Amino acid sequence: MSRIIRATKYLFLSVIAFLSLFPFFWMLNSATNSSVDILTGTLLPGNHLGENYQTLLANTNLIQALWNSFRNAVVATIASLIVCSIAGYGFEIYHDRVKDRLMVILLLSMMVPFAVIMIPLFMMIGKANLMNTTTAFILPTISTAFLIFLFRQSTRGFPSEIIEAARIEGMGELGIFIKMYMPIMRSTYAAAAVITFMSAWNSYLWPLIIMQKEASKTMPLLIANLISGYVIDYGVLMLAVTISILPTVIIFLILQKNFAEGIITSIK
Amino acid sequence: MLKVLKLKRKQNIIGWGFILPATILIFIFYFYPIIRALLISFQSGVGINLSYAGLINYRRLFVDSLFKGSLSNVFIFLILQVPLMLFLALIIASLLNDHKLKFRGFFRIAIFLPCATSLVAYALIFRSIFALDGFANILLMNLNLISSPINWIGQPWTARILIVLALTWRWTGYNMIFYLAGLQNINPTIYEAAKIDGANAWTRFTKITIPLLKPIILLTTIMSTNGTLQIFDETQILTNGGPANATLSLSQYIYRLSFEYSPRFGYAAAISYVIFLLVAILAFIQMKVGDRR
Amino acid sequence: MKKGLTLLLIFVVVFLGFSPVTAEAEQEVTITVWCWDPSFNIYAMEEAAKIYAEIAPHVTIDVIEESDVEIKLTTMVNAGQTDALPDILLMQDNSLHKNIISYPDTFFDLTDSGIDFAQFADYKVALSVVNGRNYAVPFDNGTAINAIRTDVLQQAGYTLADFTDITWSEYLKIGKDVLDKTGKPLLSAIAESPGLLMTMLQSAGTWMFDPNGEVYIAENAVLKEIVEVYIELVKSGVLVQVNEWDQYISSFNRGTVAGTINGCWIIGSIVQQTDQKGKWGITNIPKLDRAPNATNYSNQGGSSWMVLASSAHPEVATDFLAHTFAGSVKLYETILPSSGALATYLPAGDSAVYNQPHEFFGGQAIYADITAFAAKVPQVSYGLYNYEARDALGNAITQIMAGADIDAALREAEESVKFLMW
Repeated sequence: MSRIIRATKYLFLSVIAFLSLFPFFWMLNSATNSSVDILTGTLLPGNHLGENYQTLLANTNLIQALWNSFRNAVVATIASLIVCSIAGYGFEIYHDRVKDRLMVILLLSMMVPFAVIMIPLFMMIGKANLMNTTTAFILPTISTAFLIFLFRQSTRGFPSEIIEAARIEGMGELGIFIKMYMPIMRSTYAAAAVITFMSAWNSYLWPLIIMQKEASKTMPLLIANLISGYVIDYGVLMLAVTISILPTVIIFLILQKNFAEGIITSIK
Repeated sequence: MLKVLKLKRKQNIIGWGFILPATILIFIFYFYPIIRALLISFQSGVGINLSYAGLINYRRLFVDSLFKGSLSNVFIFLILQVPLMLFLALIIASLLNDHKLKFRGFFRIAIFLPCATSLVAYALIFRSIFALDGFANILLMNLNLISSPINWIGQPWTARILIVLALTWRWTGYNMIFYLAGLQNINPTIYEAAKIDGANAWTRFTKITIPLLKPIILLTTIMSTNGTLQIFDETQILTNGGPANATLSLSQYIYRLSFEYSPRFGYAAAISYVIFLLVAILAFIQMKVGDRR
Repeated sequence: MKKGLTLLLIFVVVFLGFSPVTAEAEQEVTITVWCWDPSFNIYAMEEAAKIYAEIAPHVTIDVIEESDVEIKLTTMVNAGQTDALPDILLMQDNSLHKNIISYPDTFFDLTDSGIDFAQFADYKVALSVVNGRNYAVPFDNGTAINAIRTDVLQQAGYTLADFTDITWSEYLKIGKDVLDKTGKPLLSAIAESPGLLMTMLQSAGTWMFDPNGEVYIAENAVLKEIVEVYIELVKSGVLVQVNEWDQYISSFNRGTVAGTINGCWIIGSIVQQTDQKGKWGITNIPKLDRAPNATNYSNQGGSSWMVLASSAHPEVATDFLAHTFAGSVKLYETILPSSGALATYLPAGDSAVYNQPHEFFGGQAIYADITAFAAKVPQVSYGLYNYEARDALGNAITQIMAGADIDAALREAEESVKFLMW
């Protein structure tokens, strides 16, 4: 009986994993094929990888775009993890009616489509003379209700005895946050980092508007350029999208141990 | 007594200090533009030729069939997709939380990958899988489940189902990550104790995992509700709102009104206030039900 | 004393008045351009910059690749931040009227700039004229072509000549025969897209709006004829419907269909499939049987250059366009062979380069042919609500193909466009 359950478990997970991975492999595979081969539906690896790579390098500023995206995403991720985690912690540990209400109000900020607030936002950035800067890119993304809420909710599981004990030992409130909370909540930080990095890396509309110079273009803009012409080279495109998702995958691989392996047991 | 009160006061001030930077940033970069947009929603006209029009934009919504159609579309997506995805994500996360399971790392990365995979790539694949002569139809016909191929993208309901599948495919792994992180805060000894008491896997799932993950489930529910009501990418790239607007979403309609049609920002803003109101009401209900301490 | 004053005045005039003027003529000027597509528009712009560098060495042309020019334009104009806009931008022809009308005083009036608009195809110039004023220099050619696999035709016993100057009913008749003999449909089209219908509309000199700008869908007899032709094409199997752009391209790259009708820019996607080299030919499109002004010529897509009124040097930007895209056959000769970037600048059509045979099309001098087609494309006005009408027509055709009544569906489309025109 339990063996059947076990087998079912593996089968279920394998099917899900296959469905999830298939498009990924298709994409990798397409990066090695010519555009015509992709459109005519090949599933075999081709020999156009080098050619696609040459075309990509020749037609785009790949390295520059990768670096811009990476710099923007890393700065945005670090800044927002710090600002939002301390706020989420504050909302939960020091919670009272006023702060609970404020949390609900902050949540409302996510509920208006970005396209609608983009114009007023752009006016602010333009007036502040921040066009083409990393600052302009990260300012609206540093503090998001989503991350604050994530940390607030995750703090529910944080044992309050630890705080009490630390306070009795005379540790300051900020000290408790930095020395006790941050290490224990590594799992949440890791998950939040993956998600924040990914959304900063993939953001399109905002950088489209504020990045005017060729030298400040990011990866999503580069990919959008690849599909804007009359003739789309799907091989080059697939190579570009493959390259563009690698950083997220690498970040995930580095951080996954943190959010998926027993942290709690290790601090016992 | 006085000392305790003083301490409480001090902690309260520190608490405000913790939340203030984030709060101020949100007020500047979200609420200020949101209020500006509210003012725009009372204006009417094409392009920059705007004039004050009172509630005309809002009144117009009641007779706008595109608006009503896209509103019902996003609710169909919401009702079908959010429970399906979150339940699936919970199941997968709790399966992957089993320390004895082999290849856990592989399964995790595999199931996470869809949300990182480029939208362009997956739109191409989804369309070819669900083409008339695509893999989905071949499979279903070989299994004798259907007798003639289904025109997935060409019919209203199959197109909607396709959107639901695409959303689920893309975002299940994303939600799984929050659950995995949340599961780390549950002491494994609780599970051991329950096992000894003879609780089976399903009972452990419903009686331990779900209650203890409640704060995170609330988070993902509010986020997914918000995300689905604002859905844009999938309906734009997979079906382009079709067939005959059967999958047109509110955000897509806003996008068209702003950047494709003769631009009407006042009206677009009015529609987004409807989304705002809807999500706010739903989030408020969800908070009331799910945020009891 | 008086003399001294005069002298002083002369000095002032000379030093403060005149000399800065001459200095400005020599001053370094940078003209920023937004456009998309490196192998087409950007390439053409860069070549134009080279030509202009010889005429005005102090002007630098800075080309920036932008895939979503309209989103940026809309955001910046609405935010009142026009200083962030470039000096020149490329605009889809479909959007010209919409943006010129929606954003008055945003675009520089080119009417009296010295650019000779008579040298461009009439229909193309008309797309950027509002209230009798010109706002764009026509560029990228969208002239409709009927591209066919000549090897397939041969199998069925036909030649390209059998498809030249024909009507849709003749096309259908031959199409059915080709389908019977070879198993290949002649056309593919995206099910949701009204693109082909719109191409047919323009070929008869009519549009979804009448000359007064009123919606003209439900009562448009030509449109009704077009819908009937389209239904017949699909029912007979001569046209296969696909779901998306990639599948559309794939249908002729794979050879499942033996031809396509679209703007001439589709050539870029046809020639990608090198296996089919020498097996294609190009001719004009079929004309409607009953429509009063039916022709064999039409347009699909295309784009034009606009100068922004907010530019610091609109005269320089205009002068640049006048000497290149609106005055240099040499430019068009340069960009054609390596990019296939076809223009609507008619003098270019006579050049030797345009008359060169094209290997892929069996030695046919396709560019000269297409430029000749361009001169005959009927003129229509796309208007402010072009995209609204396009979407409504797309919905109508989807519903009609699903079995809805033609009149009812067109009536509904008309109503929905009217609703959006408040």
